[in-house]
Amino acid sequence: MIASETVERGIAGAIGVGLRAPHLAAFIADRPAIGWLEVHAENYMGGGAAPAQLDRIRRDYPLSLHGVGLSLGSAEGIDEAHLLRLKGLVERYQPCRVSEHLSWSIAGGTYLNDLLPLPYTEESLAIVARHVARVQEVLGRKLLVENPSSYLRFRHSTIAEPDFLAELVRRTGCGLLCDVNNIHVSATNLGFDASHYLDALPPTAVGEIHLAGHAAVMRADVALLIDDHGSAVPPPVWALYCSALRRFGAVATLVEWDKNLPGLPVLLAEARKAERAALATLGDHVAAS
Amino acid sequence: MLPLRDVQAAFRRALLAEDETALAAFVDGGAARIDVHRNNLFASLGEVLRDGFPAVCRLVDERFFAYAAHEFIRHHPPARAVLAEYGGSFADFLADFPPCRHLPYLADVARLEWLMCVAATAADAAPLSVAALADFAPEATPLLRFTLYPALGLLASAFPIDRIWRANRHGAPLDDAPIDLAAGGVRLEVHRAGSEVVMRALDPPGFAFRQTLRQGGTLEAAATAALAEDRAFDLTGALGALFREGAVIGVTGTPANCEAPS
Repeated sequence: MIASETVERGIAGAIGVGLRAPHLAAFIADRPAIGWLEVHAENYMGGGAAPAQLDRIRRDYPLSLHGVGLSLGSAEGIDEAHLLRLKGLVERYQPCRVSEHLSWSIAGGTYLNDLLPLPYTEESLAIVARHVARVQEVLGRKLLVENPSSYLRFRHSTIAEPDFLAELVRRTGCGLLCDVNNIHVSATNLGFDASHYLDALPPTAVGEIHLAGHAAVMRADVALLIDDHGSAVPPPVWALYCSALRRFGAVATLVEWDKNLPGLPVLLAEARKAERAALATLGDHVAAS
Repeated sequence: MLPLRDVQAAFRRALLAEDETALAAFVDGGAARIDVHRNNLFASLGEVLRDGFPAVCRLVDERFFAYAAHEFIRHHPPARAVLAEYGGSFADFLADFPPCRHLPYLADVARLEWLMCVAATAADAAPLSVAALADFAPEATPLLRFTLYPALGLLASAFPIDRIWRANRHGAPLDDAPIDLAAGGVRLEVHRAGSEVVMRALDPPGFAFRQTLRQGGTLEAAATAALAEDRAFDLTGALGALFREGAVIGVTGTPANCEAPS
């Protein structure tokens, strides 16, 4: 009994939601129960109201910093000034986790505001590994690297994405952020098996899981899933989440919602759904072990 | 081997210049899949501009704004990942954008909205009290230069853009009182008070004083510029107000290497 209560508390504490600007005031005023919060680091790199509100939030919740702008895969190198701004946030907010993406956004000095895909080659691996090592050196802590959502494949890729991530972990000691929605989106768009992908990730490296919704669209007769974080988590992503939990254990889990952002109660209900899924998957498992 | 740098240059060209020939040779799946990334790029940056320039959007209507924003993004994409800092050249772009020529005040409304964006997120800085002046010899006072609070912005326009902005901001009633464009220009200051962005009109000498200091001019040059507007300008009062409002974050007694504007 005691063991199962501990498990329940532990799992409840492991579920977080993405903190978006329209919900800031409600988190400060009502302090709803949730294990932790995650913000996009770039939204707090200036001064004024937002970073001050985040100071207030940080007193009540563990906070994870999720970067979208480091461009770990840029051939021209990473922006050291941007990295220093991230370091400033890490020092100010003392986050429980810091994460970024296996992608690139900067080419020719231009920031292409999207998480763009990399060809998976030895050259890309060397570049990303160098940048991850540099980030971890400057921040003085482990970085979690998130698998991207993919829409196209480079013909000259020679390494499967999960193998690329596994090798990145081996070379740099970084952790992984496993976005199960991204795996489902990529598996559908590129035609691979999502469960094989999960099986190829090094289980002890996974420090966080992301859950989100996506949209199904037709583009010029091509059926695609778009990772828009614009709806509730759909059934195939929940199923993949349960598989991920069985493989990785009770990992901190985040519900992300960006487009069509609902009221806070809807978002928190989605987090409770994740909690129930984790309890159902891990409760028996932990009790049995 | 295909260098990553070349792949990324081809991707950039495909997204911004809409020339997919190089990229299409490297990827499976073709245009529809590249389109997903182009849509992500233009939709997200278009939203950044729409959020930053709501009055401009309302003045030209959403469809035209989307078109102007698309052209701006293509030709002036961001250089850095902090999107609150994107859009500083949108006003200059609109000033030179031929389809906007019939709205001569539009670029100044955009400049005003940009100052508001800057004021909202500019770096925090600790203001100095007027006591900081005691660190300098009295005879050196005319040559002092001030660093003003980063959130503070100044803008002069030949049009009543403060009234135009108020009538076109979010939630303003559509049938506000008519605005006479010939009613004369305005000198505005945008600032952050606590967490609020505030705008106010300045009189000509007060504006000349602050603008000269903002541009790096000496106290003497600022006083001269203000006195040229009004011979009764109260220098002591203006300097006191600057400190009282928390607008000064640095004072230097050695000349900066820029020339004071006349």
